[in-house]
Amino acid sequence: MNLKNLSIKRKLMLITMLTSGVAVVLSSAGFLIYDLISFRHSLSQDLVTQADIIGYNSAAAMAFKDESAATVTLSALQAKEDIVLAVLYTRDGKIFAQYSHPNSPRPSVSLAAEARGYRFEGSYLEVFRDVTLNGEPVGTLFLQSDMRQWNSRAKRYATIFLSFVLISGFFALLVSSKLQKLISGPILHLEDTMRMVSATKSYEVRATKFYGDEIGRLIDGFNTMLAEIQQRDTALHHANDELKTRTLELEGEIVRRKEMQKELLNAKHAAEDANRAKSAFLANMSHELRTPLNAIIGYSEMLEEETHELGKVENVKDLQKIQGAGKHLLSLINDVLDLSKIEAGRMGLHLEAFDITQMIDEMVSTLHPAISKNANTIQVHLANDLGVMRADITKVRQILFNLLSNASKFTDHGTITLDVDKSTEEGKDWIKFRIADTGIGITAKQKANLFQEFTQADVSIARKYGGTGLGLAISYRYVRLMNGRISVESEPAHGSVFTVHIPSRVTADVTEAAQTDKAGGSPAGAAATKSDVDTVLVIDDDSTVRDLMSRFLTRLGFNVVAASSGEEGLRLARQVNPLVVTLDVIMPDCDGWAVLNKLKADPELSKIPVIMVTVVDNESMGFELGASHYLIKPVDRDRLAVLIEKHRAARSSAATDAEVLAPSIRRDPSSKKEKGRLKGTLPRTMN
Amino acid sequence: MPKILLVEDNEMNRDMLSRRLQRKGYTVVTAHDGEQGHLLAHSECPDIILMDISLPVMDGWEVTRLLKADQTTRHIPIIALTAHALVTDRAKAFEIGCDDYDTKPVEFGRLSEKIENLLVVRKSS
Repeated sequence: MNLKNLSIKRKLMLITMLTSGVAVVLSSAGFLIYDLISFRHSLSQDLVTQADIIGYNSAAAMAFKDESAATVTLSALQAKEDIVLAVLYTRDGKIFAQYSHPNSPRPSVSLAAEARGYRFEGSYLEVFRDVTLNGEPVGTLFLQSDMRQWNSRAKRYATIFLSFVLISGFFALLVSSKLQKLISGPILHLEDTMRMVSATKSYEVRATKFYGDEIGRLIDGFNTMLAEIQQRDTALHHANDELKTRTLELEGEIVRRKEMQKELLNAKHAAEDANRAKSAFLANMSHELRTPLNAIIGYSEMLEEETHELGKVENVKDLQKIQGAGKHLLSLINDVLDLSKIEAGRMGLHLEAFDITQMIDEMVSTLHPAISKNANTIQVHLANDLGVMRADITKVRQILFNLLSNASKFTDHGTITLDVDKSTEEGKDWIKFRIADTGIGITAKQKANLFQEFTQADVSIARKYGGTGLGLAISYRYVRLMNGRISVESEPAHGSVFTVHIPSRVTADVTEAAQTDKAGGSPAGAAATKSDVDTVLVIDDDSTVRDLMSRFLTRLGFNVVAASSGEEGLRLARQVNPLVVTLDVIMPDCDGWAVLNKLKADPELSKIPVIMVTVVDNESMGFELGASHYLIKPVDRDRLAVLIEKHRAARSSAATDAEVLAPSIRRDPSSKKEKGRLKGTLPRTMN
Repeated sequence: MPKILLVEDNEMNRDMLSRRLQRKGYTVVTAHDGEQGHLLAHSECPDIILMDISLPVMDGWEVTRLLKADQTTRHIPIIALTAHALVTDRAKAFEIGCDDYDTKPVEFGRLSEKIENLLVVRKSS
């Protein structure tokens, strides 16, 4: 049993009892032992005295050699139980008389020579005393006593001692068990409290303080700690609860967001579907609306002609009215559909390179009727270096036509001027169109809403001067779509000047905002993207030709690779995979036809369009062998540029929404006759 | 008197156009679908063909392709007539081999001029 791990109670009791026990034992033992020792001493003194008495009484007998008297004297010792032997010795050491107690007989003892005094021999006390008569030694007396007095006393003492120890031990136990509570009580209480706290995890429990001693302070400390823990625990619980609440809230939020997301997605899909439906509708309506109108216009035109021949002037006028109304309706429909398309964000840009001068010439020629109607004159000033621009030609035409016909409509016997220039701003090239007239001008109020569709003023003006009232709104949006800008200066009665800037290389980074932009926007500034740099392979044995072509095409933004022979050309074609190949026919070693053949025979190269550029006029051979175009030298550069541009546009059609173009121009249209053939689209709004 | 083959499926358009062309002095042969147009092109040997694009049975592009691929009809100028003024159609027209194109609604004066041009060219070649 490991004493160290005994309970406090037992330890305390043990300590107390041991302490008191030791005290009791030591003190009583000391006391008793002292007593026994001094009793022994007194016993010996007693015996000495006894011996003296007996000796005195026996002296006479001894002197007169009276043995029997001596013996009688000795027998008086009978009275003392513990004296077991008495012997008288003569002076010469002979036993004179002896006595032994009848209850405990003892053998006689011979006289030791010089024995005097007392001694403890074995378990007997022995005394030797001189017997003297009148001061003269007559013999020696020997007394032997057993220790019975001492023994019984010792025994008695032992018993008393033991019982005393036991009794006091018992009381000590009682007292200590009561008193140990002073110490152990609070400690046990503390222990219990702690156990309860950890079992129930409730921190509001407090240990009772019993006394203001160290344990009391310990308990105080313990309580303070508990209070601290309780506080923290409460705070923790609160935080936990809050956390739970927040988590729930967040989860709820997430669920809500997810639902919202779903709804948004659905809405998006619905919107997309609606948009698609809208586009389909617009496309269909476009056709459906125009078809019957064509009939109205066409037949009335026809009837007009026939009636005119028949001379029925009145009927002619009526028919003209029908025609006029029909045409007006057609332009209204066209404009409304255009605007709808723009508003729906479905108006795309169809970018291509075209010759500016040519486009303007064609367009202006269609304007002559409108211009002469009001007895106006038109002056066109085109810069020399206009060249080619890359934009949506239909839209540019429409814009210019709109502005010019407006100029004509609102001018009477006046002059209309069209100036076209190139300019550079912020590193970008722009084409500037300036349309001026000497007409009625525009008021400030009108200017404010000029580019909006259908305002009240527009309706009345449209009725008075003709037109749909939507032209400027559409023109404005077209300009914005191409990242250009349009502005107007005008004073009432002093004519108007419309200025349109369009990037010379329009890119289709169009946003919805640009499409549905309201009047007064600022130019976005087109980025002349050099990212789609395509390569043109020029095969010609003439170095001058190669050089010129190279310079010209590079200026247009192409990467030019030149070959001086068919072999080299084929090799380069395989390496470079050019966009387009220009091929001369008359070459030494391998002539153009053979090269063409080889190009078309090679699966890797056959897809590359080949433009024959040659003095030889053998078009059909060229086309039979698979050439895409055939140009006769001297080459119309712009035509060539346009051709190549179209191929480039086709190749990067995904990015720019450009259309596939690969016109097969049969002849180099250097003759004016041919020029007419290539008019292509003409503006739709004609009134 | 030049002979014009008009391939147009819409009855009114066909009627209008052919009558007006006739009054202008042309001989007009009409077809109402692509297939018929193709047949008539071979059988009638017109001097010029006006080809509507959206035709039933065989569309205008297809007919043009066939005619231009065929040696016997290659030389006949074809003017594509398209309802859509899209650049796509214009470009496609030239790519397929048309000699010119015009948009509908047909402006008769404009169309006449184009016809004239092509006939003159044809004559001189």
